[in-house]
Amino acid sequence: MLIFMTIPFLVHVIIFRYVPIWGWLMAFQNYWPGKSILQQTWVGLENFRLLFNDPVFYQVLRNTLAMSIIKLVLGTVSSIILALMLNEVRIMWFKKSVQTISYLPHFISWVVAANLVRDALSTDGGIINEVLMRLGIIKQPIMFLGIPALFWWIIGVSHVWKEVGWGAIIYLAAIAAIDPTLYESAMIDGAGRLKQMWYITLPSIRPTISVLLIMNLGWVLSAGFEQQYLLQNGRVIDYARVFTIYELDYGIKMMRYSFATAVGIFRSVVSLILVFSANQLAKRWGQERLV
Amino acid sequence: MKLASGVVHGIKTRGERRLLKRRGFWFLPLLLILVLGGTAFAQQFKEFTVFTGEPLPDYPGSTIVGDIIERETGVKLIREALVGDLETKVGLMIASGDYPDLVVAAHFTSLLKDAGALIPLNDLIEEHAPNIKRLYANHWEMLKQEDGNVYWLPIQAIPYGPDTSRYPSLGFFINKRVLKDNGWPLPRTLDEYFQLIEDYMAKHPTIDGEPTIGYITLFDGWRSFATTNVPQHLMGYPNEGEFVPVMQQGRYVVTEYHTSPTAKRYYQKLNEMYNKGVIDPETFILNYDQYIEKLSSGRVLGTFNQFWQMQEAQNYLLRDNPESIFVPLPIVIDPLVEERQRDIPYVQPTQGMGITINCKDPVGAIKFLDYLIREDTQRLLQWGILGEHYEVDENGLYYRTPEQLELFRDPDWVQNVFGRPYFFNAFPSLRGVDENGNMFFPDTQPHLIYSDSTDSEKEVMDAYGVKSFSDLFNEPIFKKYFPLWTITMPAGSPAHIEETRMKDVLNRYVPELVMSSPDQFEAIWENYVRDIKPLMVEQMKVYQEGIDWRMENW
Repeated sequence: MLIFMTIPFLVHVIIFRYVPIWGWLMAFQNYWPGKSILQQTWVGLENFRLLFNDPVFYQVLRNTLAMSIIKLVLGTVSSIILALMLNEVRIMWFKKSVQTISYLPHFISWVVAANLVRDALSTDGGIINEVLMRLGIIKQPIMFLGIPALFWWIIGVSHVWKEVGWGAIIYLAAIAAIDPTLYESAMIDGAGRLKQMWYITLPSIRPTISVLLIMNLGWVLSAGFEQQYLLQNGRVIDYARVFTIYELDYGIKMMRYSFATAVGIFRSVVSLILVFSANQLAKRWGQERLV
Repeated sequence: MKLASGVVHGIKTRGERRLLKRRGFWFLPLLLILVLGGTAFAQQFKEFTVFTGEPLPDYPGSTIVGDIIERETGVKLIREALVGDLETKVGLMIASGDYPDLVVAAHFTSLLKDAGALIPLNDLIEEHAPNIKRLYANHWEMLKQEDGNVYWLPIQAIPYGPDTSRYPSLGFFINKRVLKDNGWPLPRTLDEYFQLIEDYMAKHPTIDGEPTIGYITLFDGWRSFATTNVPQHLMGYPNEGEFVPVMQQGRYVVTEYHTSPTAKRYYQKLNEMYNKGVIDPETFILNYDQYIEKLSSGRVLGTFNQFWQMQEAQNYLLRDNPESIFVPLPIVIDPLVEERQRDIPYVQPTQGMGITINCKDPVGAIKFLDYLIREDTQRLLQWGILGEHYEVDENGLYYRTPEQLELFRDPDWVQNVFGRPYFFNAFPSLRGVDENGNMFFPDTQPHLIYSDSTDSEKEVMDAYGVKSFSDLFNEPIFKKYFPLWTITMPAGSPAHIEETRMKDVLNRYVPELVMSSPDQFEAIWENYVRDIKPLMVEQMKVYQEGIDWRMENW
């Protein structure tokens, strides 16, 4: 019976995840809209040759990896810390309000959020510069969004601001499932709050952490789109362009759909390799894994 | 367990269920009547979906002109306005094949035609659209594509002759305060222009309690041409685009200006001003909304732009802060340069509104457009209702009373109550002189350009002895091909890729050229020239072919 219940989901996965792979054929053609996919001209690996010969490609690869890893590490660590801290809060109304406030930004679209970030970082009365100047840490306002080297970190930190509360929910759920008797016996053995966290809470949610990490590795070559697209500017373009923006600027906007598909295939293949190797590593270290 | 008990509580008792059933029994027919009635009512209107390639808030539902148009045509438009980047939107539209009935894609309209999304309009117009045929007759040959078909109607037709506007289409704008404070000087060169701004800034470090901003330049995404196109204007040209055709031995030769000595002097001047703190430090990271917001605050002293890109700010200033309005100046790099920055109003034959293959009723659509383009409809859109929004004097010339003028000066009223923007800009419209000697645009009515100006505008015009801001500039020169920028690169071609790469180089180097310390400028300039030079060859070939073709065929 349970098998039957999975059928709708299987159908969903096949229709929306496997059937579109048919479109990968485009990458080996010079696709032009208005003709059926079998009437297109075939060009072999030409699109991939163009891709790997493009100096911009390597820049894009670097940016995507850097921002993904920053987001992954900062995002995971901050969510876990927030979850641990929330778990220790005993005053319910305080815990609830912190939780609500911290996951509220998750529901704002990046279009709005990017403008909030821009305003906060502005040199012309932006709150961050104002605070830093009042505290006497800096004398002149800093043009945060205009410093290429800072761009990756602005992306990372604004990601944390937006997603930390949301990310913490899943860890809070995992923590809630821990057997309370473990804490009781630890308390009897004289473990304080910090010791309990370190020896009971963290090890108990380790499987959750490792599964989530493996799953997120699959998104390493995505790194988001709206966030970079809306926060970038000409000054930092060398550090801001990620794969999704590259596909747009050099693919879809020019009607080079085949080229955009080739980039997509490259991303998919690399992501698959990453997920499987992470899975293997987890297996070797005796951790929870996906497959 | 909690979940399960909740479900148990949710089950109704038998009595409750019966009640529910009975209530449902009465409710259903009522619902049916409502739905049927609703559709029957809606069926009185034909509906067309339309994508307008410009950002516009949702239609308010009812506006003065919108209601009249709906009543007279029986057509309701379901609108989609632009959110974000137009080029992206068009690319996605083509990739998905999901076209609205009517589409306007500005500079990217030809991509839609290349993708086979637009239907030819020749026969439709011949049979069903006498007004379109009559009013576009002057431009008909220009609109034909290589296959001899017409696929779109340019958003403006000039059937009876051009007009001149109160404002030129572009210029170095300067805050009125600066001119007034200095006894109305008329700077001619970039150096003089910045000297005025610098001096005023030193004298008035704050305006209305906020720090004064000397100069800002727009650099957001595709709008960055407001910064990078400037060298051609400093050389005296109107807006041609990325290259300028220069007359050499009787032929227009496409020439680049991005690495010209003028460009170097321009960026060097910006660099000097940036390091002196005259230019807003964050000018290169502002997006368009922030740019307009700063201009509207009245504390910016100067900016270069095409007027339509800063008109919104000017409208707000005229209403709320008339002492800080912007005055356009014809600035060139050197007093020896002959200034011809104004252009003659022209039809953009490479873009406009088309009917797509998804449209179920092309005849209805073309009839709707035919209705829109009629002189009477255009007058309604631009002037309004006779006796209510405008009057006619004894010579048959239109004018507005001060109260009527006041209404039309409020951009919010024009948009949300009157409703003009919802049938203008993206839709086919008429401009220039009309059939009885009035202008289609009230703003360009010659005897009103001056008299309908605000007091603040009049003060500036009086000071310079002109009757419109355009008069501060020289007369434009007629060029048959004009302008170069309406020639588009074939999609995905090497020239197209080159164009994107060139814009990348501009995007990267221009902020660096301006924001670096002055002693690094030479080195950065050399790198910039090295990187951008090779990215122009293919484009120039395409442009040259286009110009030659136009000179021969138009």
